[in-house]
Amino acid sequence: MIRLRIGFVVIAMVLSFFGARLIQLQAVDPKAYAARAAAEGSVEIVLPAERGQILDRNGVPLAGSIDGVMVVADPDWTSPDAHALAKFLSTRLSVDYFSTLQALRAEDSRFEYVARRVPSTLAGDVLAEAEALGYEGLSTRRDPARDYPAGDVAANLIGFLGTPDPEKGARPLAGFELTFDSLLSGRDGSAHYQVSGGNRIPLGVNTIVEAVDGRDLQTTIDLDLQWYTQRVVRQAVEDSRGDSGIAVVMDSRTGELLAVADHPTYDATRPLEASKDDLGSRAMSDVYEPGSVEKVLTMASLLDKGLVTPRTRIRVPPSLERQDRSIGDWFPHGTINLTLAGVLAKSSNIGTVLATDKITPQALGRYLSAFGLGQRTDIGVRGETPGIVPSGLAMTPQTKDRIAFGQSLSVNAVQMAAAVNSIANGGLRIDPSVITGSALTDDGRTVGTDTAGTRQVISETAAQQTMKMMEKVIDPEDGVAPGAAVPGYRVAGKTGTAQRVGAECGCYDGTFTVSFAGFAPADDPRFTVYVVVQNPRNGGGGGSVGGPAFAKIMSYALRRYAVPPTDTLPSDLPVEWGTGTAATGR
Amino acid sequence: MSTQVAVPLRRRVPSIAGKAVTRARLTVVPRRRTQAARVPFVTLVTLVLVAGVVGLLLFNTSMQQASFAASSLEEQARTLTAREQTLRMELDDLRDPQRVAEDAQELGMVPAMSPAFLNLADGTVVGQPTPATLADGVRLQPRPPRKPAVLSPAPIVREEVLDTSAGRRGAGRSGGDDGRQNRNRNRR
Repeated sequence: MIRLRIGFVVIAMVLSFFGARLIQLQAVDPKAYAARAAAEGSVEIVLPAERGQILDRNGVPLAGSIDGVMVVADPDWTSPDAHALAKFLSTRLSVDYFSTLQALRAEDSRFEYVARRVPSTLAGDVLAEAEALGYEGLSTRRDPARDYPAGDVAANLIGFLGTPDPEKGARPLAGFELTFDSLLSGRDGSAHYQVSGGNRIPLGVNTIVEAVDGRDLQTTIDLDLQWYTQRVVRQAVEDSRGDSGIAVVMDSRTGELLAVADHPTYDATRPLEASKDDLGSRAMSDVYEPGSVEKVLTMASLLDKGLVTPRTRIRVPPSLERQDRSIGDWFPHGTINLTLAGVLAKSSNIGTVLATDKITPQALGRYLSAFGLGQRTDIGVRGETPGIVPSGLAMTPQTKDRIAFGQSLSVNAVQMAAAVNSIANGGLRIDPSVITGSALTDDGRTVGTDTAGTRQVISETAAQQTMKMMEKVIDPEDGVAPGAAVPGYRVAGKTGTAQRVGAECGCYDGTFTVSFAGFAPADDPRFTVYVVVQNPRNGGGGGSVGGPAFAKIMSYALRRYAVPPTDTLPSDLPVEWGTGTAATGR
Repeated sequence: MSTQVAVPLRRRVPSIAGKAVTRARLTVVPRRRTQAARVPFVTLVTLVLVAGVVGLLLFNTSMQQASFAASSLEEQARTLTAREQTLRMELDDLRDPQRVAEDAQELGMVPAMSPAFLNLADGTVVGQPTPATLADGVRLQPRPPRKPAVLSPAPIVREEVLDTSAGRRGAGRSGGDDGRQNRNRNRR
């Protein structure tokens, strides 16, 4: 009897333990246990969305994504063979031997980076080799990388990505990468399934959310032309010992920017090695006084108003006393008789000011605004500075005189190229664009060729007359920039040598901005090229520094796009009149 | 009383229904033993069961097999994608204008400056064909940065009054001394 009782008590105790455990499992926190049970053998993986490419106008990638991985080490496993393994990894993955050694031997750590953003094929090969050699403790994880195959080509426009965030992925830091991030970056998907021994359990839980890849961004940039333009600008800046340089190549008919070159630039694959000032696009952010290139716009306005003709006779005195100061020309001369074409060909400030007396400040201001000066181009490049054009009412007579030859107003290079292009395009200004189609920027503006508008700034006749006058600038006898000629082609252009406001004093400090803008073939323009060099120290002007660079870029563009010469006779406008003491100074 | 009533009834009835009653007497129907063959049924059920189990097993195995195949094909697809990507990168590197230009320059080529066109229909030449010269080339590499003045100090020239008898030999030596002194200074 007593044995039976003891037996019952033991059974009751065991059962009560079971009961207690049951309550603990089912009543106290059933969800956590359920989750743990579910997690056993189930896998949740991220299906990476591929970041869209940035393409040039022909579909060649300027920026592309590669499926990179990071190689990580578990020092618990790697420290015994650290020396040999570090030697192996440093040769195969091109990483630093000493930092690798340090990572492999790190104490109190089970996760150390060995290399990041390694192409996955290379990492796979290296890991397989390491395993064959008997090294353990290495593994890979996903680490998407961005590749800029052309290095520094168009880097100032494209921008770059920072070290990717382990959770959020790509981290755009500059340029198009940042501006059009929402377009380029897709949405990562995920897959959830159960595994056993590395294989999916066929009838287990299996849910997949497909990744949405990012869309490609097509630019109007021509990779090869952009590369050539950048090299020419670099050479122009280096040879003239200038501070920086810009060149813009624009399709005259469509306003598409084929090249926007900046120097100094940087290698998009190694942005950290560059100075911070070089990461943006100077063509958009640097404003400067355009100098004599602006005379083209002044003349075009005068011609459009019908106030002058290219043959208008102007008597140009050696110097001109105006209000509070005297205006001089860049070349010494006595009193000379120049036609309006001659004034432009010889880039006479005095002649331009005298001609501009015929127009009111308000009208001049309206024309300059219509040409797009002082207004953002909004092409989708970050950090644009619109420049300043005093409105007609704020234009004092002194300001107006200076604006007439391109001082006292500031522009950015793309604005100026678009303004000159309106003359190439028969007086019709086309908004410049750098994105093919349309795309939404991060601040909510739609940009691209689809949104580019047009407006008739001056009449076609006035544009034609201005073009003929600009042709005389290249004339080997009458003009100031024979170096800008492209043999066999009719070229129209204009030099600019402007006094430059120094950064320190905020005043004209004796340095110059030299530039050259032009288009070819003059009678049926296809390309407008604008070259600017800031602060050349070799005493060169727009004709000697900008001209040859212009000619190189223009001839490359004409050849690349197979534009034949037009085979017509160049303009024969007279540059002088009467039989007076004509100066042939240059 | 009741028996009295019953007896006369009985007496009456047998005469009429005696035969019928005899005829209508119920007898137990003998149980018919239907000998349905038990073996085929059991065999059928067993077969169905076995077929079901084996089929399920085969199905599961084939599913597992397919899963293995899927895993390995996915792995292969990943490898091939990575390979394709690497090849595409290689291609991009090869068509990099900088690389092409450097190779061309190594072969002694320069870009042509003035484009000219040959009309195949009538053999006319449009434009001015001009042979390219070295001056038409574009520098492909940036100029090396200028060495800071600290790294290339101006030579220190020490004027020494020489007695005339030492002559040229003395002059040569003084220069050498300067050089040595300079080097010592650098070392310090």
